[in-house]
Amino acid sequence: MTKVELTDFVQNKETQIIKGNVAAANAAKSARVQVISAYPITPQTTVVEKLSEFVDGGYMPGTQYIKMESEHSVMAATIGASMAGTRTFTATCGQGLFYMYEMIHWAAGVRLPIVTAIVSRGTAPPWNIWADFSDVISCRDTGWMSSFCATHQEIYDEILMSYKVCEDYDVLLPKFVAYGGFILSHTSKPVIIEDQDKVDSFLPDLPDEKGWPHIWVDPERPIMHGNLIMPSGFYSEFRMKLHIALLEAKEKIKNATKEFEKVFGRSYGNGLIQEYNMDNAEVAMLTYGDLALQMEEAVDQVREEGYKVGMVKLRHFRPFPTEEIIKLGKKVKVLGVVDRGIAFGSQTGGPVSCEVKTALHDIEGTAKVFPMMNGIGGREVSLEQQKNQLKLLVKYNETGELPKDMIHGTYWDGLLEVK
Amino acid sequence: MEKVEKDIVEITFHGRGGQTSVTGSQLLAECAYEEGFKDTIAIPIIGAERRGAPILAFTKISKNKPIRTYDSVKDPDYMLIFDISLLDIPRVLATIKEGVIVIADSVAPLDKSKFPDNVKVFIVDATGICIKRSFMHSSGPILNIPMLGAFGKVSGYYGLDVMEKVLKKNFGENRLEKNMRVARDAYESVKEG
Repeated sequence: MTKVELTDFVQNKETQIIKGNVAAANAAKSARVQVISAYPITPQTTVVEKLSEFVDGGYMPGTQYIKMESEHSVMAATIGASMAGTRTFTATCGQGLFYMYEMIHWAAGVRLPIVTAIVSRGTAPPWNIWADFSDVISCRDTGWMSSFCATHQEIYDEILMSYKVCEDYDVLLPKFVAYGGFILSHTSKPVIIEDQDKVDSFLPDLPDEKGWPHIWVDPERPIMHGNLIMPSGFYSEFRMKLHIALLEAKEKIKNATKEFEKVFGRSYGNGLIQEYNMDNAEVAMLTYGDLALQMEEAVDQVREEGYKVGMVKLRHFRPFPTEEIIKLGKKVKVLGVVDRGIAFGSQTGGPVSCEVKTALHDIEGTAKVFPMMNGIGGREVSLEQQKNQLKLLVKYNETGELPKDMIHGTYWDGLLEVK
Repeated sequence: MEKVEKDIVEITFHGRGGQTSVTGSQLLAECAYEEGFKDTIAIPIIGAERRGAPILAFTKISKNKPIRTYDSVKDPDYMLIFDISLLDIPRVLATIKEGVIVIADSVAPLDKSKFPDNVKVFIVDATGICIKRSFMHSSGPILNIPMLGAFGKVSGYYGLDVMEKVLKKNFGENRLEKNMRVARDAYESVKEG
């Protein structure tokens, strides 16, 4: 394994107007990832194109770039590289993520700190390549951590923070960093690319030739991987430990977010959630991804009209911030949840709405949950729509009245007329 | 010539696949940022792209306020029309609202009879400039640079010095002179029409 010399590439802090995908590629570069394995898929393609340019142009010395013939092989190669003790990165989305699915479970089961950017897109059929978080959310029970980004800068920052959390020896888990296809991936905004020295000091050291503490690929120390465990063996205990590690990662996420703020000066709430304008709010909207940034603007404008509304951005879906949601549920009377992704067959709203309802279920005196669905398959969500959603919460709080056109307990906003 | 002063200025790009309007929307964001605007966003509308198909892109630029919306621009302050035949399409024509400032690639003044009141029109022969200066790619003239030159002049948001910095950063020293020639031609020749 070629070792990266930490002195051979130093870049100074710079603000660039770049696409979300280029921000993700820059984060992988700043994190000095050692192995990238990738297969292109819209709208992720420009992430791996940019990384291939970086590697080819000598901007990522010591990084191996492995082109594969499918996403399944991509994750297999990434697992191999990570097991050998390297910092790894890949990116995919939608159908590509589903093609990876078997290997996704492997990565978590073997407890590998792989960071994967998910440029979320709708699930086919009908064929769709636009923003929709159904893809990453359908990997809920794989043992991966998952987070959503609302801005271009957050993509860069979140990938850096993810390495810090994933590679913590108490965590050692893979993580998805998801952001909306096209809405973030192909639009351009100013993004601060940080000083290499500063990033190096923030992140843990790259693994040495011994690799990770729990697993290695080394002819000098041969071990066997992925053996059969009989039902009487330690299978349940392995899985339970994975479950506990995922939950205990909450503290690590909070710490990493705090430290990130100290080093780079950008704040992301407590890491799991980020509140906005929640002072004396009577109702609040919880949402995630790009919808959350635009919702901030909507909250400000609706507040100017005299309504006491606030909002909360969900940053992590797994581990799920149950304690924070309960606290929030005690603070407000109505909690709206806007999902950009469907939980088919659920009568308690979209995937995040289900989680919120579950978190509040046994707690007395918490907010009523108002599930909403918006922007499925990249359908445009206007500011006016979001302002209206906030006013629906206010109306529900004041009169107990829900819109008449709720569909099985969920308010679907922005639908075309279906005959 | 026609400077709009407000918190967030919104610009739409109407072009055809291959006319480089999407890259134009990104370069405009960069020029504004270089000039000192605090926040910018370039938003292309992406579908199944092909040469010649109508293309839509937006740029929002803001002096001081952060831009927190990702939605499309419905009521633009400026419209850059890379191909005036697009104005024959009703849904493109419908986006020309009262008070908008249009900058079109055209040799002759536009027929304003279909426009609402108060629409200011500027024309620049961007295609002609590109042909004259051999500023072409595989399927035609590279219209975004002259269009951005014309926009800089009309809006007064940035000058040729800022364009020079941005073009150098994006396309390198070697192509800078070629890029700047067409930008300058358009900057100097854009006129009311």
